[in-house]
Amino acid sequence: MSIEADIGLEVADVSAGRPAIVLKSAEFRRTREPSWQELERLVDTAERRGVRMLSPYELNRLPQLYRSALSSLSVARAIALDRHLLLYLENLALRAYLAIYSPRTGVVEAGGQFLRAFPAAVRQARWHVLIAFLSLLVGTAAGFWLTVQDESWFATLVPGGLAGGRGAASTRQSLLDGEIFAPWPGWAVSIGIVANFLFSHNTLVGIFAFCLGLAAGVPTILLIAYQGVILGAFIALHYDRGLTVDFLGWIAIHGVTEITAIVLCGAAGLVIAQKMLFPDRYSRVDSLAMHGRRAAEIAVGAVLMLFVAAILEGGFRQLVASTPGRFAIAAASAIGWLAYIQLVRPAGETR
Amino acid sequence: MSSAETAAASVLRRDWRKRREIVTPEGVPLTVELAEFSERAVALVLDLLICIGVTVAIVLLFIYLAAHGLSGIILFAVLNLVAFFLRVLYFIHFELSGRGATPGKRVAGIRVIDRRGGPLTASAVIARNLTRELEIFLPLGMLISASSATSGWGNLLVLGWLLCFLVLMFFNRDRMRAGDLIAGTLVIAMPRQRLLGDLVETRARFVFSDNQLTAYGKRELQVLEDLLRRPDDAETRELLRDVRDRIVRKISWADPLPPAETAAFLRDFYTAQRAFLEREQLFGRPRADKFEAARKREE
Repeated sequence: MSIEADIGLEVADVSAGRPAIVLKSAEFRRTREPSWQELERLVDTAERRGVRMLSPYELNRLPQLYRSALSSLSVARAIALDRHLLLYLENLALRAYLAIYSPRTGVVEAGGQFLRAFPAAVRQARWHVLIAFLSLLVGTAAGFWLTVQDESWFATLVPGGLAGGRGAASTRQSLLDGEIFAPWPGWAVSIGIVANFLFSHNTLVGIFAFCLGLAAGVPTILLIAYQGVILGAFIALHYDRGLTVDFLGWIAIHGVTEITAIVLCGAAGLVIAQKMLFPDRYSRVDSLAMHGRRAAEIAVGAVLMLFVAAILEGGFRQLVASTPGRFAIAAASAIGWLAYIQLVRPAGETR
Repeated sequence: MSSAETAAASVLRRDWRKRREIVTPEGVPLTVELAEFSERAVALVLDLLICIGVTVAIVLLFIYLAAHGLSGIILFAVLNLVAFFLRVLYFIHFELSGRGATPGKRVAGIRVIDRRGGPLTASAVIARNLTRELEIFLPLGMLISASSATSGWGNLLVLGWLLCFLVLMFFNRDRMRAGDLIAGTLVIAMPRQRLLGDLVETRARFVFSDNQLTAYGKRELQVLEDLLRRPDDAETRELLRDVRDRIVRKISWADPLPPAETAAFLRDFYTAQRAFLEREQLFGRPRADKFEAARKREE
């Protein structure tokens, strides 16, 4: 039955002399209803066409009406027996809350915020970064030591796909021509490397290292250390043929970016592991929600770094066919990343 | 049991959605309703269709502009890259745009919110959407690109990976996928509630004594409210008559009651009952349901 019908009925029956009833909750509703309706109109507009479509006056009204709706809700919860009214007020307050507190950032602005938040997140996780880096170093040393003693270890330690035909049988010349100073393969392959970065070995390792943080972090450390082992084995292979410096140049031009990114992914995984294992005074899920964002920022930033690494690898590595040139680019990228991570602050934060 | 009981159950079954509470920055707890898996699946499929459509359009343009010397592998790689950036930007853009929902989510009537009631931040949205990459797209991409190259074991591993994340979503209380877990977000349904008229009469024809009104409590009042709000049809009228008879028996209503007066009688009873319960509540004697008196005696 509609309100109009009620009123009609009532007017017709006033003369019948019924006893008048005044309910507190009905009075409460009657006095507050206009402001709820006004809020509902504003929220409708905001939901359909965005908050930007509201006039300055309406924008000013929105939070006022929102707060009064919240107070209505609190009162209704205490006194109202009318379930429909409660549901309506709950819904209205929620919609108004969402209209007021939702983000209104564009992708570009969000990207800017992210680029400032990423270094801060990395700085906060410096101990995790250190642990991840140390496990990489230990792995590298182990891989180097094993392979230098006996080159047959190389085939055991390095998966076939990564070895790419290199191994104990490789000669100095074949490494120089086929790998370190191989001719530029042309645009097609370069673009392929860049475009497939998401499915490259390193990105997968990075993402796995991050995700395995959910498994208490031990697999993360092992995975990072294993990447070190592979690197160490490669270094040993070239060391035995007197190509250490050239190889380091070949790997460093993109490796500085790439290895840093993998270490950061590992650090992000360790942050997650730490907050899950030691949630402090929060529940594990809450602790994860509070710190997971920071960890995800690190991981996302690291994936973007891997994209940069793919550009360096696909585009520049074989074009710059001199070891000093490669070291120069490697050093420049190292300084660049260091400066970025050390110096960039989130907006509003002062040193 | 009569049809009135089943009707009462069906009327109050609007609670089928799982609910959670968030606390606004003003300190008022609000109830939110979790989105159903089906709604989220519909939203995801719609969004993906849009993304795939746009990606295909861009790549067709690309082919048209540079039709020479592109091998299939390169094309596939470029497709991958375009699709990646497009879907990431698409999801982030729309979830940050103030409505907290992509077009697919809006169609499905759901949106993303911060789990603890704060504002939804850019980094949370970025985190939850990039995690989707490794939950769904990365393993799918590996399945597609590697199905010919690798052995069955690799594919099995990838399937296990996909399954892990799926299971995670089904087996946590808040239906969070890994991205929600990490970003601290929640996907909720956004039903819209319209304000209907108050059922309270201002002048009553039927008068009830306090003794008669003690028969019921708040729960019964609300069932009656929902019944009275049902659209007027044959079934409702049937139900109303049924309920009227039960009430008449329960409160020992003695006066004659012509069938045409059923609705008026029930509305008057609703008004009187609500006035009575409100007064009792005000005096610190709330009555949750008709068993309240029995519970009191037991204590």
